[in-house]
Amino acid sequence: MNDTSQSFVKFEKIDKSYDGEVLVVKNLNLDIAKGEFVTMLGPSGSGKTTTLMMLAGFETPTNGEIFLDTKPISKIPPYEREIGMVFQNYALFPHMTVAENLSFPLEVRKISKPDIKEKVQKALDMVELGNFGTRFPAQLSGGQQQRVALARALVFEPRLVLMDEPLGALDKNLREQMQYEIKHIHDRIGITVVYVTHDQSEALTMSNRIAVFNDGVVQQLSTPDILYEKPENSFVAKFIGENNTLNGVVREVNGSSCTVELDGGFGMVKALKINVNEVGEKTQLSIRPERVSIDNSISDSNNFSGKIEELIYLGDHIRARLDVCGNNEFIVKVPNEGSFNHKEGDELKLSWNSEDVRALDL
Amino acid sequence: MSKFLKAFLFVSLVFAPFAASAVTVASWGGAYTESQQKAYADTYSDPGSIVFENYNGGLGEVRAQVESGNVTWDLVDVLPSDAITGCDEGLFEDISSEIASMGVPGPDGESIAEDMEANGLNYHSGWDCCVPQIFWTYVVFYDPDAFPGEKPDSMADFFDVEKFPGKRGIHTWADGIIQKALVADGVAPNAVPTVFANQTGAIDRAFEVMDKIKDHVVFWSAGSQPLELVKSGEVVMAVAYNGRVGAANLAEGENFEYIWEGQVLDQEYLCLTTGSPNREAALDFMMHASSPESQAEQAKYITYGPMRASGIPIIEANEPWGPGGVDIMPHMPNTPERLKVSIVNDPQWWSDNGAEISERYSAWMGN
Amino acid sequence: MEDCISTSALLTTDGVPLKQSLKKAERKNKLRAFLLVFPLLLFIIVTFVMPIGDMLFRSVDDSQINGVFPNTFNEYKKWDKEKDVLPPEEVYKALFEELAYGEKIQIGRALTRMNYSKSGWKSLIKTTSRQIKKAVKKDELPNNYKEFLISANEKWADPTFWYAMGQMVNNTTPIYYWNALDRTYDQDQNVVMQDEKRRIYIKTWIKTLKISVYVTIFCLILGFPVAHLLANLPLRYSNLLMIFVLLPFWTSLLVRTTAWIVMLQQNGVINGILVWLGILSDDGRLQLVYNETGTLIAMTQILLPFMILPLYSVMRVIPKSHMRAAQNLGAKPATAFWRVYLPQTIPGMSAGGLLVFVLAIGYFITPELVGGKDGKLIGHWIAYHLKTTLNWGLCAALGAILLGVMLIFYWLYNKIVGIDNIKLG
Repeated sequence: MNDTSQSFVKFEKIDKSYDGEVLVVKNLNLDIAKGEFVTMLGPSGSGKTTTLMMLAGFETPTNGEIFLDTKPISKIPPYEREIGMVFQNYALFPHMTVAENLSFPLEVRKISKPDIKEKVQKALDMVELGNFGTRFPAQLSGGQQQRVALARALVFEPRLVLMDEPLGALDKNLREQMQYEIKHIHDRIGITVVYVTHDQSEALTMSNRIAVFNDGVVQQLSTPDILYEKPENSFVAKFIGENNTLNGVVREVNGSSCTVELDGGFGMVKALKINVNEVGEKTQLSIRPERVSIDNSISDSNNFSGKIEELIYLGDHIRARLDVCGNNEFIVKVPNEGSFNHKEGDELKLSWNSEDVRALDL
Repeated sequence: MSKFLKAFLFVSLVFAPFAASAVTVASWGGAYTESQQKAYADTYSDPGSIVFENYNGGLGEVRAQVESGNVTWDLVDVLPSDAITGCDEGLFEDISSEIASMGVPGPDGESIAEDMEANGLNYHSGWDCCVPQIFWTYVVFYDPDAFPGEKPDSMADFFDVEKFPGKRGIHTWADGIIQKALVADGVAPNAVPTVFANQTGAIDRAFEVMDKIKDHVVFWSAGSQPLELVKSGEVVMAVAYNGRVGAANLAEGENFEYIWEGQVLDQEYLCLTTGSPNREAALDFMMHASSPESQAEQAKYITYGPMRASGIPIIEANEPWGPGGVDIMPHMPNTPERLKVSIVNDPQWWSDNGAEISERYSAWMGN
Repeated sequence: MEDCISTSALLTTDGVPLKQSLKKAERKNKLRAFLLVFPLLLFIIVTFVMPIGDMLFRSVDDSQINGVFPNTFNEYKKWDKEKDVLPPEEVYKALFEELAYGEKIQIGRALTRMNYSKSGWKSLIKTTSRQIKKAVKKDELPNNYKEFLISANEKWADPTFWYAMGQMVNNTTPIYYWNALDRTYDQDQNVVMQDEKRRIYIKTWIKTLKISVYVTIFCLILGFPVAHLLANLPLRYSNLLMIFVLLPFWTSLLVRTTAWIVMLQQNGVINGILVWLGILSDDGRLQLVYNETGTLIAMTQILLPFMILPLYSVMRVIPKSHMRAAQNLGAKPATAFWRVYLPQTIPGMSAGGLLVFVLAIGYFITPELVGGKDGKLIGHWIAYHLKTTLNWGLCAALGAILLGVMLIFYWLYNKIVGIDNIKLG
């Protein structure tokens, strides 16, 4: 899958600047395989939408080249790229009916009338809007409009579909439902999708791989599970999922692990050496809340205690905010097994495995 | 802001009583009204009681005011045909007895009517409701520099584009030009009104003469335009209001020449609106404005001639009468020798035939 | 269950029929709503409905003169034009009496009206009146009124004056409408074309419509790109551009006129540049002002903002993503513009077009100033008859036709584009 010679979409050394002073995308190298669902995830201003627009042809790379099916596409205008796109606010044409919206890409390709009719109907059926062809977009609900936009992006059988935060305008329930629908359509027709979002759960739900963007740079490109479990830097660790951090200085390096002395003299922590190199370097330790255990000692070296600041009952688990080693935002998720009977202000004993602590950059 | 408001309130309270009793005079605006202000209002015993308001001529607004009973104009400055219609329709009040008893006599005791007759005018019903103001004329003028050789000096020359090539500037309405056309065709200027009134086909004859220059005409519609046309060389000669030409010569240092022959003298009247809210004050001001002295005074500020014949000697005796020590008589349209070659417009004939001729003139112009 | 709802009346908890209770509850709201719009309603009635009604009434009304000469007209109707060249003695007598004893001001007004049907009525009656009054004063009533009047003024023997009287003997008349279309009555009250030399109104109507349509088209062609630019420029530039767009509003008519003339006259700036560039020869200077060209240029410039502003307000809310989406779907920029952008601006084009057209069709001061021989549009004639001839009947007829033309255009527009498709902002 990651074999670059086989890649369907290839970004090679892409830089992009609007004003000649600030780079919004820096040295982007990205390969996407055919049929893959790749999400570009990042906060706003991280360069993900710009990257998508360069792929669609609405922005020109300042440096580098984008290849689609091994051919450079920088010189190809957007209307010849054969790339479908779902826009942030759908960009449905308000003066055309749903069917006319869907016919539009087919008409400009001079496809015969009967074929158009058939393809439009098929696309509408695919998004379960078979009877809505004669309506105008304004007569549809947000979710229906979203599906029409999706159908329109797919109806002309593009080589690739881009989606720019397509679910941003929907409410939470609808958004989750649509995530599954898009995922299922992708699974069914096997088209290559490049998806842009700032919502990590959306990215985790749908993607084969996720490229985490920050500051114009891809921080990590990986499958969802690896991104969550093995973040390679502190930005990714913080951006994907919930994360507890402790700051310190590396005191000892031992192959793939290291020992870190916490700031404020709270003691030493054994951790995996991920994004630090030598003794004396400052580091940020990352521990997922569900990997911290309470009361019983599961490790010889990483035993600490914390004071309960806040308890939130969430049904299947109890979420505890603790003050641990000077960090009063330390979260622990306690499975609701019926045995937890502490109150706010109590001291808890904590421990974690050294394999679950990752020493990252600061 | 509130200070300003208070001051405004104070001022309006102080002046409100005066404003209510002020005599409102509707007039044409511009330099003409300015000359009225200086010659009539500023010399009046109570200058503050006279307020001028601009309008665009015609009786439409006067009729609307009188019909609705909401009269705000005490006096209206009108053309003679409007004076006649307005008086006939009762839009203006018949004050013939007041004019006879209160009118300021001339140096030899001439009444207003006698003075006007001495200027070649005949009675019409406008005289019952209105007092005279000025003679203004449609005069042809040119820039002598445009004619290095022989210079045009007659109506025949104006209508002869072979002898004097170049475009002519003419207004977009019929009055003035159709009379000139007859003069160009050999009718004596003084006889033109009677020819129009009594000879069938006189109008056709005038249009035939105008046909000769039609392709060489630039038509203007605002009084300032003929001056611009001649100045810029767009036309070599133009018909204009003589007051505009006089102003250009006196104030702007131009050197335009007049062709007095065939000038069309028209009249201007000040009439009392029926139901005027300040009738007595308005009457008093009318008499002041129509005195020979006021009329002569007006010539200082605009080169239109006094309609009362006894105004002319006052100017002649006091030359240089104009601003900055210039002689005014060379620009006066109604000197005795100029009157000999002039057409004195017949307003009664125009109020009979104006609408028909104006439609016909437009049809001619547009073809 | 459904039967239950439809057949038996529903009651409120207190036992009052639901409909009645609802009506009572809503009456207050309705009253309040009515009171809120009442001032506006009153305003519209006073300033719009009543004047238009008055105008339509005046366009056919001829009652004033019928009040002045009731007997004359009565007798006149008995005149057999086939048999007698001139009306019978009774007509002359009735006219004599009504002129002798009628109210001077009413007669004056009637004279103004009579002169519309034939030039010369005014002085004819006025000179005659004077003679009649003299005779009455001296108590010398004539034995033969016909002879008396003819001796007073020989025009009383001219049957054309008497034929013209036929136009005004009824309390209502369509003559003003016929006049407004270059038609008049012949001696037998048949509608005939006006004397060829006086036919101006049909030509003027056509000219007015033509110029209004041209101005609308030019405004659209010129305004569309400007509005597009305004809608898509960053705010600080678009504000500046907007000032330029609105500049004509803030310039006085005379300054504008002078500027156009300076620009457009034969020795003006534009001709000067064209000659300097060698595009025109020195004798081939174009006549750009004092004719129809000048009218079109001046009116287009002054009415341009009325096109740009509605277009701008519509274009501003068209998302930029639409053009991108269209291109993304495979449409070349021109196709995307034509099929996606342009149709969405139709509400703005309609609003602007209708505004410009309506304003243009009534324009008269500007065209007169720069239009020379072609500058008299229909508005000029309305103003002329309003102010100068006081022929308010013709005025009203011209106005009513103008209103009718507008309604026809409005109807056509509704048929073609649909009235919902209009958006001012």
